[in-house]
Amino acid sequence: MSLAAHRGQGVVRPAAAVGATEAVAPPAVYVGLVTRAIAFAVDAALVQLVAIAVAGTLALILSVVSLPDQLDGVLVVLGSVAYGLWLVGYFVVFWSVAGQTPGNRLFQIRVCRAVDGAAPGPGAAVLRFLGLILAALPLFAGFVPILLDNRRRGVHDMLAGTVVVQAPAADP
Amino acid sequence: MKAPVESVLRTGGAIGAAVTRPVVRTVNGAAAAALDAVLRSRLSGDLVERVAASPLAGRALRGALGGPLVEALAHDLVRYRVADRLLSEELVEQTTARVLEGPELERVVHAALDSPTVERLIGSAIQSRLLDETVVRLLESDDLWLLVDEIAQSPAVTAAIAGQSASFADQVAGGVRARSRSADAWLEQRARRMLRRRPAPSAGSGSG
Repeated sequence: MSLAAHRGQGVVRPAAAVGATEAVAPPAVYVGLVTRAIAFAVDAALVQLVAIAVAGTLALILSVVSLPDQLDGVLVVLGSVAYGLWLVGYFVVFWSVAGQTPGNRLFQIRVCRAVDGAAPGPGAAVLRFLGLILAALPLFAGFVPILLDNRRRGVHDMLAGTVVVQAPAADP
Repeated sequence: MKAPVESVLRTGGAIGAAVTRPVVRTVNGAAAAALDAVLRSRLSGDLVERVAASPLAGRALRGALGGPLVEALAHDLVRYRVADRLLSEELVEQTTARVLEGPELERVVHAALDSPTVERLIGSAIQSRLLDETVVRLLESDDLWLLVDEIAQSPAVTAAIAGQSASFADQVAGGVRARSRSADAWLEQRARRMLRRRPAPSAGSGSG
């Protein structure tokens, strides 16, 4: 099907073809719920593995350093903030810089702006992440539109103006 | 009185030798030329062939091999270090190079490999206890494992293993990707059917 977006929206081209002529732009293939969920699970596993490794190392260090008990609460708050920043930073940085997280790359999919196919900016990436949380809160109901929308967009995609397309790996 | 006689005799002998030496040389040259002519002649060739084909030659050879000649020959070969001298000459190297480069060796090897005898010999060698013992000893030797370690750690082998692992991971990931995309299409179809919605514009893949 043509890249002309449905419902009066813009045109999506694969990032490699942005700036190229219309003739060489292959049609984008929007990615469905299952693939995106597995790719997200891979990313979640990566994020948690790193967080656990770092937290374990810090806990070992703190176990040999005697700190006042009053600092425990501060450390918990600091750890939570650091975890939150790491979690948000992981997705925002990967989406905005490459359009792909490691999990996306494994499954050869890419997040891009619906309008021009470029990687979303940092603002759009933050908005998309917040939309992701919002979509998950009502028993993941915010992801149901992926099954019904012609461009397979969830609530977070609609909020950030993004789509998820297939991005086959370039031949070596 | 003796001295003049001896002097005369010596002088006479010297004169005689001086006169006869050219004659003897000429006669020797003529004899050598005659011998060459005889050796080149067809008659002498025929004679040699007849003698070689006759029972006399066989009897002579048997007699020589049965007599003390062989022992004497072997003794002299050792005594005069013939083998050492031959090996020290370039002749051996030249001969070896000629044999290795020539087509004869290849022909002989091909003929040997094609022969059923060699096949039988190889079969019996494989089934022999000697081979089993050799393999056991080889496996017990530390040098073999050192060699195996060296080969296993060589860049070529590690690169090949890494390449195989990467291609295996790619293969697995490709399989998971294909299945997840089929699942995408299947789930979407079910959801649309359940909600009585029209199928996706591009069936299955949901391509835009």
